[in-house]
Amino acid sequence: MKKLVALLLAVMFVLPAVALAGTVKLGFINSITGPEAPIGENLTNGVTLAIEDLKAKGIDVDLVKEDDTGKPDKSLAAFEKLATRDNVVGIVGPYTSATANADAKLAERYKIPVIIPAASKEEITRQGFKWVFRVSGTTGDYAGVLIDLATTLGKPKTMAILNENTDFGVSGAKSAKEIAEKKGIKVVFEEAYSKGSPDYRSTLAKVKATNPDLVFMVSYVADAILLMRQSREIGLSPMAFLGAGAGFSVAQFAKEKEISNGVFSSTQWTEEAPWAGSKAWFKRYVKQFGKAPTYHAACAYESMMIMGQAAAAAGGDREKTREALTTGHWNGILGEVRFQDYDGYQNQRKAVMLVEQVQNGKHETVWPLKDAVKKPIWPFPGWKK
Amino acid sequence: MAAQRCGQEAHLALPGLEKVTQFEGAGSKDHVPGQLTSLLLAPCSYFLYYMIVFFQSLISGILIGGVYALIGIGLTIIFGVMRVINFAHGDILMIGMYMTYFLFTVFHIDPFVSIVITIPLMFLFGAFLQKVFINRALNALPQNQILLTIGMGLVMSNTVMLAFTSDYKILTTTYSSSSVEILGISVSEPLVVSFAITVAITAALYWFLYKTDMGQAIRATAQDREAAQLMGINVKRMSIIAFGIGSALAGTAGALISPTYYIFPQVGSVFTLKAFVITVLGGMGSIVGATLGGVLIGVAESVGGVYIGSGWKDVIVFILFLLVLLFKPSGLLGTSKD
Repeated sequence: MKKLVALLLAVMFVLPAVALAGTVKLGFINSITGPEAPIGENLTNGVTLAIEDLKAKGIDVDLVKEDDTGKPDKSLAAFEKLATRDNVVGIVGPYTSATANADAKLAERYKIPVIIPAASKEEITRQGFKWVFRVSGTTGDYAGVLIDLATTLGKPKTMAILNENTDFGVSGAKSAKEIAEKKGIKVVFEEAYSKGSPDYRSTLAKVKATNPDLVFMVSYVADAILLMRQSREIGLSPMAFLGAGAGFSVAQFAKEKEISNGVFSSTQWTEEAPWAGSKAWFKRYVKQFGKAPTYHAACAYESMMIMGQAAAAAGGDREKTREALTTGHWNGILGEVRFQDYDGYQNQRKAVMLVEQVQNGKHETVWPLKDAVKKPIWPFPGWKK
Repeated sequence: MAAQRCGQEAHLALPGLEKVTQFEGAGSKDHVPGQLTSLLLAPCSYFLYYMIVFFQSLISGILIGGVYALIGIGLTIIFGVMRVINFAHGDILMIGMYMTYFLFTVFHIDPFVSIVITIPLMFLFGAFLQKVFINRALNALPQNQILLTIGMGLVMSNTVMLAFTSDYKILTTTYSSSSVEILGISVSEPLVVSFAITVAITAALYWFLYKTDMGQAIRATAQDREAAQLMGINVKRMSIIAFGIGSALAGTAGALISPTYYIFPQVGSVFTLKAFVITVLGGMGSIVGATLGGVLIGVAESVGGVYIGSGWKDVIVFILFLLVLLFKPSGLLGTSKD
């Protein structure tokens, strides 16, 4: 009799566990439509690949996708829905710094683990939050690698910073200024513009008048193209144009080769990234979606892989998932990922950055030199008439 | 010229200046970073640089202002004739942008040439809107008319979003980033062309409104709807024509901005607000006022962006707007009608 009860109890405990081990309910918030949609598409595709790979590992993910159109208010609503109505175990996303920064506070309130794949505003993981994890590097990482490249290849003395007045832009500009000044580069021009203006010529004329060696820009897609177009018009021609990821890293930007050739952009991942499986993953992505991925896709893929594995191992418990994220480490296309506390950050991955340069209408990895496929073209060759 | 020469001396005095990049413009060679300039030459080169920056922003402002004027004129004609504020104006402009985009990408018609197609199509579209929707609300309460036009705008932007998603579209022509240099100031080629087209269209419009019978009938309707009707003018028809012209102008403005801007379904809201500011600034219903208002707003944005900060553009525009309303409530060229 005792044995029978024991057996029954065992079955009762084990069966649901077996049934559950396979399925986890996760949320994904992204800029599926809206101004950041061209980048958002990369994140969506990255997550799609991650879901396939998790399935191959025996983890079925019941994914709830939400579109925040890049707006913080919509992102908060989406987050709340996922946390309360859909009752997901963990959330990956959202994409932009403004939305991620807003959602981070909700993650704390609802005690739900969230992995931020690609937003880089420094403060997001500097607020003492326990539930917020970030795979993405910070704006400090973005600026640091570009300034490293510039000071190694040339002797720039002055820099102009032009950024959009969003969370991402302001944080990017601040990091760039700090790092430049540490390296002895004088920041001679600084301005935050409000995005969506048809005319940046007057601002660019002012940049040109300060004759900077480096022009550092932080922008999303449409403005990146507009700014470079108008730089060409104005004849702004520094030693180098440095773009902090985002708008400067998408294929749509590279394709406009008349204005994008020679522009450097920092990135967290490329096809040539020195981590196992990068090349194969790149090929698989291209085959499946018909276009090349940006680093956002790789970051989103890795974020979802980590979240899926952690949540499954924790048996769908939010607190245990959080613990798994804090203590675990993963190896994937971004190399080894650990969430660490350092420099005032909490649960932040130490990102290893690369630099791409647009050459002949294509992004080519040019930095660090050991991983480079093409030699960096330095200085900026000037505009062709 | 003196300033130019002075700049060159400054350049010669600086063999240590390591610039490997090539500059095309005389202006860009000449200005020199303050640190390296010898004290004697400093005031001179600074003067030059301030002049270049000032004229650069002034010219960009005027050129952009021309397109703004076109948007404002469209709104003011509609208001003048019907006393209806068209809050769908920016969305009509957005339709013009999409039309230009598809004419360019699908049929390879240059954006500036495609206005030949855009103008009549947008005219018909506007006439249709007037006949089917606005005409029915002409005698309704003003707030109902406002709701009607806002609603029309929402339907337009959301239909476009449904059809083409909210992704940004960028139209790249061979001349999208071309410029000509005049005395160190670079002038955007597409903006010059669009400004020229704007001037031509505005001139044609003036001729039409002041010299033709139909134009005079439209103006008569604008002055006094009932009296015009008593004089045998078909005011309903005039209204349809006026809304058609207004829409065609908005659509043309959209076409003209397309090569240098980007296109997405909600782009209209930016321009609706701008058009509204321009018309109120110039005086509701005044075509000359709208022309002036457009250029003024363009220059205020551009010059203000340089001297105060480009993040403050909108603030500058609205302070200007409030000041005008404070001292001349009927707008710059408006006559108050009660």
